[in-house]
Amino acid sequence: MTRLFAATSVLALGIASAAIAADSPSKADVLSTYSNIAEANYDDSLIAAKSLQAAVNALITDPSDATLNAARAAWIAARVPYQQTEVYRFGNAIVDDWEGKVNAWPLDEGLIDYVDSSYSGPTDENEFAALNVIANPSFELSGETIDAAEITPELLGETLHEADGIEANVATGYHAIEFLLWGQDLNGHGTGAGNRPWSDYAQGDACTGGNCDRRAQYLSAATDLLVSDLEWMAAQWAEGGAARVALTADEAAGVSAILTGMGSLSYGETAGERMRLGLMLNDPEEEHSCFADNTHNDHYYNGVGVQNVYLGTYTRIDGTPVDGASLSDLVIASDPSLDAEMKVKLANTMQALGVMKSTAEAGFAYDQMLERGNEGGELLIMGGVNGFIDQTKTIERIVTTLQLDQIDFEGSDSLDNPDAVFQ
Amino acid sequence: MRTLALALALILPLHAHAQNHGPILTSTVETHVLPGFAVLSQATEALTQAAQTDCSPGSARLQAAYHTAFDSWISVSHLRFGPTEVQDRAFSLAFWPDTKGFTPKALSGLIASEDASVETPAEFAETSVAGRGFFALEQMLFDPKFTDQGAAPYRCALIQAIATDIDNNAHAIDADWAIYAITLTRPGESGPYRSEDEAMQELYRALTTGLEFTGDTRLGRPMGTFDRPRPNRAEARRSDRSLRHVELSLIALRDLAAHLSADYPGIAADLDAAFAKAIASAQSLDDPALAGVATPQGRFRVEALQQSINDIRAIASAELGPTLGINAGFNSLDGD
Repeated sequence: MTRLFAATSVLALGIASAAIAADSPSKADVLSTYSNIAEANYDDSLIAAKSLQAAVNALITDPSDATLNAARAAWIAARVPYQQTEVYRFGNAIVDDWEGKVNAWPLDEGLIDYVDSSYSGPTDENEFAALNVIANPSFELSGETIDAAEITPELLGETLHEADGIEANVATGYHAIEFLLWGQDLNGHGTGAGNRPWSDYAQGDACTGGNCDRRAQYLSAATDLLVSDLEWMAAQWAEGGAARVALTADEAAGVSAILTGMGSLSYGETAGERMRLGLMLNDPEEEHSCFADNTHNDHYYNGVGVQNVYLGTYTRIDGTPVDGASLSDLVIASDPSLDAEMKVKLANTMQALGVMKSTAEAGFAYDQMLERGNEGGELLIMGGVNGFIDQTKTIERIVTTLQLDQIDFEGSDSLDNPDAVFQ
Repeated sequence: MRTLALALALILPLHAHAQNHGPILTSTVETHVLPGFAVLSQATEALTQAAQTDCSPGSARLQAAYHTAFDSWISVSHLRFGPTEVQDRAFSLAFWPDTKGFTPKALSGLIASEDASVETPAEFAETSVAGRGFFALEQMLFDPKFTDQGAAPYRCALIQAIATDIDNNAHAIDADWAIYAITLTRPGESGPYRSEDEAMQELYRALTTGLEFTGDTRLGRPMGTFDRPRPNRAEARRSDRSLRHVELSLIALRDLAAHLSADYPGIAADLDAAFAKAIASAQSLDDPALAGVATPQGRFRVEALQQSINDIRAIASAELGPTLGINAGFNSLDGD
């Protein structure tokens, strides 16, 4: 009985596919476009991080309002390509294992530098939440004395980052740099982002906040580390790079990885962890870029990234288009109406995120939207959340339609052990 | 092209053709889901009555009502879809894990400012989820830090407000399920589930996500690493409920698994045996707050329990899912 049904469905599939087969791309071509976009997107992130590095060096050499603002602008620009790469994270173990170095969040910023007296200090969860390495050239960590006389990329990356196994001990990456450029946002749900004075980098008597030399050293080390980390990841996606090779080792698992990245970023990560949670807690610091108040852009460009990999198109930061055979083409070959549904839902999400972004840019910041009882803010954020959740349902339907059975993200079992998936 | 279609067909699971899931959907909703939420709303009603009668943290009746209601929630807490997700009801009932100490922060904030929202349920429902629900109530009743913080009348009002809010959410979920049950058992183009397969996928996801949460979060968080166990991260440890939650969730998930595997006696037997082993392992642990994770011997036993849960997960993903022709899809634990 079962076999008879299976045979019938083979026939049905064969006929259905033959009718519209002409335009169907090969999985290999789809994976190639996906890898090309990753390569260009990480390369753009690297280029933008190098601009940030130049701006940071200018700030350190010649601290002033102008050089601080230029560094902040470079940081905001650097986020545009990077946030689009996040769709590569959950489907590709090599990215997921690495991304904590560059985009870990949320952080207990007292680990890094001085904080306001309202900051809670060491907590049950994290006894190093107020360590302040910039003010302390030597300290105890898990029973060991750490020599931090010189703040180097190695000290940040290998000793301080995730110290004591606590994820909130974020010593490296975009958000550590963000804190060093903006400082804490002490405005609560009110207007304004962090307001660190440029004089926090002034040398000699003009120095504010103490230890300006060490603060500059920290900022420089963290930025250098960001550049070298992005350099490494861009190389993994180049021709022959490890990420590209892993993706294409099993084509069905590779296509599954694309969908896994889209679904996990949309649902569990962005809609859940980053958007809905902050709203439920009404906490002004529970936003992805809480120092710079750039959260609306973080979510918006996550949405763009999901759309990029589905449509197989990406626009580089210099305007160059990258495109090719897409997942969308593959879905069209099986079920054109499902492809149309996916495109509409992606567009709906972008529309909702666009309204949130433009409203934030008009002056209603994300942390103001999070305020208890603020109905307009809740609607703006929930518009994005609902869009992400709704598009995840269609991503699941695509998994079913393409028969990419047993999608598993998280552990990336599908990549580590493809046999376990298709046994 | 024909070759590709054939290749696709070859990796179809054996039973991936349309199956009639109707009877299973109906029996799961009628005997697993609906009774669970009905029991919860009865228990939360008793809880709010107990809080109105005597709001002192030491009240035996209040504590007993808290335990009974929390038990009922844990027994349905894997059913995180539809009515539980409307207006963040499930998060409002149980905000955990609390990785950044939001609950004590929210409670201290309410107490310090004597926030007037405690007087009006609709306003209290607008406050942070971290200061509401069972985990907030637990700290008010069992954490010495809160038994004398601020003024006694305000603490009393806060405890009563939390209990009322819990009851309101439990009733709202129960009421909405009357309608949602139809959505789930009679899927169609206009509803959230287009087919019986999609409705089954929701229930199957509840099973796999529930197992993942109990194994990786309820047990995994306090386990930490061998060198750095984290007993203070155990769920509801202040009222000695950590292990109980593991046991109750396994009992509830065993029932769900039995429903979902009803058409395949071989798989049903495998799952049931694996659940029996895990539940027996939990019952033999005698470590209510999972504090034992701090010692090598204690950790070893918790690890064995976690492994037995992983064994159930393996049967679900390797046998049950493919046989039913569904995959688990995405869940809220994806991400980091």
